[in-house]
Amino acid sequence: MNLDWLDAFLISGLFSVVVIVGLGLLLHLQLGLTRIANFGVVGFFGIGMYSFGVLFTKVDWPFGDLWAFLISLAFGTLVAGLSGLLVGWLIADLDEDGVLVGTLGFATAVFILATTEQDLTGGALGLGGLKFPYDVGTVKADEFLWLVIVSIVVALIFLYVWWVHRTPYGRLLIAIGGNEPLAKSLGKPAFRTKLWLFAVGSAGMGLIGALFGVMERFLAPENLGIDVTLAAMVALVLGGTARAWGAVIGGFLIIGFFDIIVQSYLPLPKEWYGQAIPNIKEIVFGALLIVVLLFRPLGILGDMRRDKLMRRVHG
Amino acid sequence: MVDDTPVATIIRPQIHIQNAVKSFSGRVVVDVDELTLGDHAIEGLIGPNGAGKTTLMRMIMHSTPLDRGTITMSNANGGGDVVISDLPTHWMAPHGLVKSNQVIMDFDKLTILDSMLLAIAQAKYEQPHRLFVETQVYDAAVERVHEYMEYFELGDPYRFAGSAGEKKLLDIIRCLLLEPRFLLLDEPTAGLPDDVTEKVMAIIRDLAVAGTSVVIVEHDLNVIWNLSDDVHFMAEGSVVMHGSPAEIRENKTVIEKYLGEGHV
Amino acid sequence: MLDFLSDSIVIGLTEHAPLILAAIGFALLYRLTGLINVAYSETITLGAYFGMWTNTTFDLNFYTVLLPAGLMAGLISVGTYFAIFRPAKKLNVGVLEMIIISFGLSIVLRHGLQFVFGYPVRFFEVPPPDTIRVLGVGVGSFRILAVASVALLSFLLYLFIQRSSFGLQIRALASDEDLAQASGIRPLFVTVLIWFIAGVAGGMAGAFYGVSSAVAPLLGWRQFLFIFLVVVVGGRKGLGGVIITGALTGIGLAAMTLQFGQVLYAQLALIVAFVVLLKWRSKRAIETAKV
Repeated sequence: MNLDWLDAFLISGLFSVVVIVGLGLLLHLQLGLTRIANFGVVGFFGIGMYSFGVLFTKVDWPFGDLWAFLISLAFGTLVAGLSGLLVGWLIADLDEDGVLVGTLGFATAVFILATTEQDLTGGALGLGGLKFPYDVGTVKADEFLWLVIVSIVVALIFLYVWWVHRTPYGRLLIAIGGNEPLAKSLGKPAFRTKLWLFAVGSAGMGLIGALFGVMERFLAPENLGIDVTLAAMVALVLGGTARAWGAVIGGFLIIGFFDIIVQSYLPLPKEWYGQAIPNIKEIVFGALLIVVLLFRPLGILGDMRRDKLMRRVHG
Repeated sequence: MVDDTPVATIIRPQIHIQNAVKSFSGRVVVDVDELTLGDHAIEGLIGPNGAGKTTLMRMIMHSTPLDRGTITMSNANGGGDVVISDLPTHWMAPHGLVKSNQVIMDFDKLTILDSMLLAIAQAKYEQPHRLFVETQVYDAAVERVHEYMEYFELGDPYRFAGSAGEKKLLDIIRCLLLEPRFLLLDEPTAGLPDDVTEKVMAIIRDLAVAGTSVVIVEHDLNVIWNLSDDVHFMAEGSVVMHGSPAEIRENKTVIEKYLGEGHV
Repeated sequence: MLDFLSDSIVIGLTEHAPLILAAIGFALLYRLTGLINVAYSETITLGAYFGMWTNTTFDLNFYTVLLPAGLMAGLISVGTYFAIFRPAKKLNVGVLEMIIISFGLSIVLRHGLQFVFGYPVRFFEVPPPDTIRVLGVGVGSFRILAVASVALLSFLLYLFIQRSSFGLQIRALASDEDLAQASGIRPLFVTVLIWFIAGVAGGMAGAFYGVSSAVAPLLGWRQFLFIFLVVVVGGRKGLGGVIITGALTGIGLAAMTLQFGQVLYAQLALIVAFVVLLKWRSKRAIETAKV
């Protein structure tokens, strides 16, 4: 495969866009529809990444790499899903402050464990030994193929989220987000619904984390900072929390701008790229959250339009 | 809207309230020793403001927890007695116990049709992996939805409820769609136009004839006198008396405490 | 055993006094304005930076810079109120959106201050503090000062809120803003006052954190979760509850750090314990819904 036309920076830029879009889509179900502010996105992302990485590198697998890889991937997803179930159980009947404490606390706990459990995770030094489950020649080709694979996974996540709007389940999520007491009085099990929402969403975030880890090849606690949660939240809020396309639009606009355009195509002085630009990026992210929520709370795409959507669905 | 069912075979569900007490920051709002609702098809619950009517309703639904006491429902869905004061709110509807709301309660982002489908959809269809059941839910519901849409002349179902009256009506329709066996109505006519009130009352009567027990809290006493077979009078947190509408409206205490002289 | 206990108490109270101080400030905002202000973590960080900056620029000792650092943080705190939170309230922003806005502000301030103060980690330039022996444990004088500040601030706040006419206004405002306004209270003045006091407490806490280790952009954020936990768990019983919970948290952290030999495990245990406590409490108190 001749990939000379493709810039290595473009691959990594697109990859981060795709990863953040994936996380933003799952956050949309929680924050956009059900109105649960999950500030622990990076925790689920991280626990999936590390569970996958540790199992894959620390076990002496008796069979081929591909199977070991897939089993580890499933394991990472499962662990993230189970932790989502646990966190969901802890916070599903708490107020906004309890949800903030619980999700933030979980993300911090994952960070702490990644640092302290050196035998498993390599601690602050990190964990190496991850690799792609294939070899198609050059590093660039491997990475490109991985970008394609992860894009397909995120596209499937998008399809799921997009489709949920068209199901009774989506209607229930919106109802619970809009007026939980009323939903309960109609016999809707709000607690259980949130629990499973968290389990499924977290499993997805864990899967994305594991896929991200493969591209990084090296897992370190620095990957578990609040900036991951921030990026997913900014993408979603900018595009529109209430719409399935929100995280996609917002992700391509804002992550795409910084990680592709600024990174590769703007004629900026070299020395800016070390510290100034990452710093500016975070400032812009934070400022966007403030400005969008103050002046256009539902982002670029605006509110969901069930009146039009349902008419189309029932045709 | 409901077929004439032979009245004799009906066993009505009842709600028994025992020693139910609720206080807010030290002030006792409800203190009901012993009360049975559902002896008659339609019962009214009246009393001055602050008598604790709405709180009592919420205690029955267990959306307001009891300080002490028990509330049981007999002949609930599936028969038998259920201690509903031990159950979370979302188990009331499956047991056939449903309440409409005094204040306006709506889902802002859901259309009228959405609201109705939400009420009808069974829990098994509302799970993260049930992706291809919308058509099923819609097909099963569409007939009843249209029946209500036409009866109340609501027009286009694919729009949001506009006025306060429309939201109030939608709240009642959601309750009716749940096919209640025991229906609590908290000021159902407040904010509704007269012709809509008439239509709601006609449905309530039909439901009651078919075996649903109905309790209405209402300030519009004409509704109570016309509709109910039995009236409970509540004052200062407890039910002080009950009797036929005629008895209650002529009772001295009731007149003194609530109706005022010259009202009758 | 007795040594372990006294060690835990002395270390816990002295090392974590800034936690109590910061929690008092956060609790004021949380309880009196109902706001969960994630950007409070940057009030703390800014206090540390201001303290470090005055200390290193004008060659002033720590005792001299403590109060200016607090006052500067207080002013910034009031500034964020006017720039962000007051407009947000006027625009009727929801609770959930308000949290995310404060999160955004936290990020902006955290990274903005790196342009002002530079990227490398900075340090106070102070001689090593005198060590005083308390129950057999050596404690630096700055930490003693931190404990004294907590005691003083708590006492002043107690007097202020319970005894002064402003305190009466604050309490009235917290319970019912419209009513308070109708009865002639100046909500704006009182609100600004709350933001200022909260900022001063946070800034001083930051200076204490900074002088005992290093001054870095994440200084406040690293403490935020624990401050928040202390306030959410202890805040229901008023400021007294916050102070007691903060003190117990400090002692608990110190004891577990001694036991596990690793401060991270202590933090982990604390997070788990507090979140489980919140869950347990929510089970007992089912909310009264308006249905």
